[in-house]
Amino acid sequence: MLSRTASDLYWMSRYLERAENMARMLDVSYSLSMMPQDGRDGLDEIAMPLLITGTLEDYLGRHGQMHAERMLDFFALAADNPVSIYSCLGAARASAHAVRGRITADMWENINASWLEIRGIAQQGLNRYGMSRFCEWLKERSHLFRGATYGTIMRNDAFRFIRLGTFIERADNTLRLLDARYEMMSIKALDSVDDESAWSYYQWSALLRALSSFEAYTEVYRDAPAARPVAELLLLRADVPRSLRACTDEINRILSVLPGINGRPAQRRVAEMDARLRYTGIDEILEAGLHEWLNAFIASIRELGAAIHTSYLEVV
Amino acid sequence: MSQIFFDEMYDPNGQVRPHYREFARWLAETPEETLAQRRREADLLFHRAGITFTLYGDEQGTERLIPFDIIPRSIPASEWWVVEKGCIQRVKALNLFLADLYHDQRIIKAGVIPADQVLANEQYQLAMQGLDLHRGIYSHISGVDLVRDGDGTFYVLEDNLRTPSGVSYMLEDRKMMMRLFPELFSAQRVLPIDHYPNLLLDTLKSSSPLDNPSVVVMTPGRFNSAYFEHAFLAREMGVELVEGADMFVRDDKVFMRTTDGPQPVDVIYRRLDDAFLDPLAFNPDSMLGVPGLLSAYRAGNVVLANAIGTGVADDKSVYPFVTDMIRFYLDEEPILKNVPTWQCRKPEELSHVLAHLPELVVKETQGSGGYGMLVGPAATREEIDTFRARLKAKPHAYIAQPTLSLSTCPTFVESGIAPRHIDLRPFVLSGRETRVVPGGLTRVALREGSLVVNSSQGGGTKDTWVVED
Amino acid sequence: MRLSISHETAYHYDDEVRASIQYLRLTPHDSERQHVLSWHLDLPKPVRAQVDAFGNILHVLTLEGPHDHIVISARGQVDIDEQREAEHEDGSPLPYRRFTRLTEADDALISFARRHGAKGDRAGLIALMNALGDHILYSPGATEIDTTAAQAFAGAKGVCQDHAHTFIACARSLGVPARFAAGYLFTPGSEQLECHAWAEAWLEGAWYSFDVTHRLARPERHLKIAVGLDYLDACPVRGVRRGGGFAQMHAKVVVTPTVLDQ
Repeated sequence: MLSRTASDLYWMSRYLERAENMARMLDVSYSLSMMPQDGRDGLDEIAMPLLITGTLEDYLGRHGQMHAERMLDFFALAADNPVSIYSCLGAARASAHAVRGRITADMWENINASWLEIRGIAQQGLNRYGMSRFCEWLKERSHLFRGATYGTIMRNDAFRFIRLGTFIERADNTLRLLDARYEMMSIKALDSVDDESAWSYYQWSALLRALSSFEAYTEVYRDAPAARPVAELLLLRADVPRSLRACTDEINRILSVLPGINGRPAQRRVAEMDARLRYTGIDEILEAGLHEWLNAFIASIRELGAAIHTSYLEVV
Repeated sequence: MSQIFFDEMYDPNGQVRPHYREFARWLAETPEETLAQRRREADLLFHRAGITFTLYGDEQGTERLIPFDIIPRSIPASEWWVVEKGCIQRVKALNLFLADLYHDQRIIKAGVIPADQVLANEQYQLAMQGLDLHRGIYSHISGVDLVRDGDGTFYVLEDNLRTPSGVSYMLEDRKMMMRLFPELFSAQRVLPIDHYPNLLLDTLKSSSPLDNPSVVVMTPGRFNSAYFEHAFLAREMGVELVEGADMFVRDDKVFMRTTDGPQPVDVIYRRLDDAFLDPLAFNPDSMLGVPGLLSAYRAGNVVLANAIGTGVADDKSVYPFVTDMIRFYLDEEPILKNVPTWQCRKPEELSHVLAHLPELVVKETQGSGGYGMLVGPAATREEIDTFRARLKAKPHAYIAQPTLSLSTCPTFVESGIAPRHIDLRPFVLSGRETRVVPGGLTRVALREGSLVVNSSQGGGTKDTWVVED
Repeated sequence: MRLSISHETAYHYDDEVRASIQYLRLTPHDSERQHVLSWHLDLPKPVRAQVDAFGNILHVLTLEGPHDHIVISARGQVDIDEQREAEHEDGSPLPYRRFTRLTEADDALISFARRHGAKGDRAGLIALMNALGDHILYSPGATEIDTTAAQAFAGAKGVCQDHAHTFIACARSLGVPARFAAGYLFTPGSEQLECHAWAEAWLEGAWYSFDVTHRLARPERHLKIAVGLDYLDACPVRGVRRGGGFAQMHAKVVVTPTVLDQ
């Protein structure tokens, strides 16, 4: 496959996955911000997605102060925010357009329709369309696209690069979300809010819901969510589709079947990561410090992304 | 107005022509709301499928739909076979002409075409001189633009031998009609066209001496007005869609950059102009081409379809000689007529043109897409005066033709159904044999009275049926 | 006259170049005026010689893998028939009547050509050559390699390339086929050969030379390497590279001629 084509397929699915993840993040923060906040206005909850995606400063630079509605709009629909959900969907659609000949009609029509619709939503404004409705809509569009992909495209390298983009993005997202929630809990923990509190329950269950893992959690642990089991579920369980382990598993499998010898550096990296997760217990991770461990892994994922780039996507 | 136009559906007495009877019956029976709803559906489907084009000169690169009209243009098979034979004859002669022009130049020596007419032409490529092409084919994919005059006679308006476009609309229009109105296709036999991509791939493969050559479609990129078509054809043929930057030349051979390392390229169906192919040989500013491509081509290591330098044969100043070419190379009488043409470079013809500007259509010899032309009967006095000055300044850059009364076909417009002018572009494929799929692309001028069918000037398209008698 | 030439070009890049490709026109071929006794082109790797669209000998050099310099050297011996004024050639001259971007004749050039070139015969073209030499002052640095004939004429300054382009534009505007010639020029007594460009025009069935810079209508001191519609077709080196960043290109030209009496 053409390196440029592989690159467009990879980024198409990365951007789409990113848009979906951002909608999930937004949904959770928005609902948490509505909760009784012991006298607070929920602004820090709404700022959280901006913080995680590193766009809070950009926002403050443009709008001066935290303002719920403006932050939500900036994050979701602002065309001048290069990492808004709107922009991500636009980038995904532009990549799809560039490889129109390599994806199926169903896939193209799906992503093109999503793009046309979000432009309509942007015109209406988030307030009129409805915040939760918007997040649901986006998740649904992403599910549809994935369904169209699984259901219609040949199981060839195009399919593999699409999946590769999805799982790299998803792994990164799971790590960041877990890290951010854990940070928030640690700060609170200083205020001596213990793990058993209702507040803690909402925090962890919100994270699980954002990663569509709430049902999986209750089935596995049959207990109220808490730091240790949540981290274990999201990092180490291979049977939870948005867990880190599930992502590296997929990436490892995909890279091992891509043709050619260009990819060896990337293959070696992911095999190492896979082994690291396979033979690590959650207590080892917590002992090392969850925040440090997560950040080291975020860096590893970034390096893996770079290795995939030089190996496949920009072959001289 | 009395019937000065040939209408495809109705005869001069207002009676439905036999090959339209089935359709007319269906149209009368189908409730108006159904039609309106299907038309909306068609719009939505085209939009969703991204079947769009980008206007040149539109800075935002806005994508637009080419309006699609659900009333088909229908041709009886018996009539079509003549048109088909005529197109094949014409393209064969044009290919023989190009081979001759870049080798022995017999046609010049025989005095059929003046040497300066072709050799001093900007489209004549020195790089092609003496170069032998597999099967001697230069224009593998040709589009012949046809119109019908008042009495129904077909005329060739121009030949397109560089990178003719529009075939994707021909295919998509048919798909759309079959999706919206399947009942129409069971009522009568409309000859199929959907094998075109197979024929195209076969043509491209047969352009190379290799047994199983690696074929690619080369596009200037996604901002090109015909990008949709490039992607469409690559996909339908199952070959790579490449841009210049995806390829490179190493030791006179062309390769593409893939995830599995460099892979050889043997046949390039290129959809960009000669001038952009190789920045080291042609336009040095071209970012769209492949440095070194010309050397690989001249070394015989890659096939370009169409070949470089075909523009000299479809230049409007060479057009008047095509009927003579048919006689010269094939020793046959032309099946399809040329539109009478005045060559403004000839002083006596120029003075005729200047005296009759309000009745004539004047075109630039190098122009395309309906730009830079004067339609005398539709022009204002000032427009005519401006054009007169341009003609006098650069007479060799123009030709003139009588204003043809293009045939009309009933078309959905805002006020209901009304006749609109149409043309026809069949696509001719030249490989082991010369072939045409039945019909072609019908373009329709949607503005009342307009004779300009180009999509960039507000034209639409119709499905084109060849109906068995 | 026998010339012994050695020409070395070295390119140094500030950054590493990942891949490069070059069209090289550095090899003369036999004609009625010149006979090539020997010629060697030293390239970083062996390259097959081919003939380009204009009949020039062309080498296409493709280099992959990182490199930060390229050295190209040419040396050989050529006999020149100083007495011969014109050269015959197969093939129609008509393709050399068209204009190119660099040789487009604007109104100023067209009227200049009419005024000095008369009917476009040899005498007229010689007068045109001299008039252009007077009008465009030889001044290195006043123009760039992509300066058009019309721009150079309007600025009234330029180098040999601009002289050739303006002459070609004028000749073509008179309906005379004309082309760009590139090669070396020998200056007696200087022991130096220089890279040079001049024009050729088609008169009475042969190509005649017109060196505006030196006001020479006979190419007695010229070694021709390549011809074309304009500079872009005939220039010695035309290339592109990947990588190398915004690197500067340094070219060093050493030319050592030896003149032997026959």
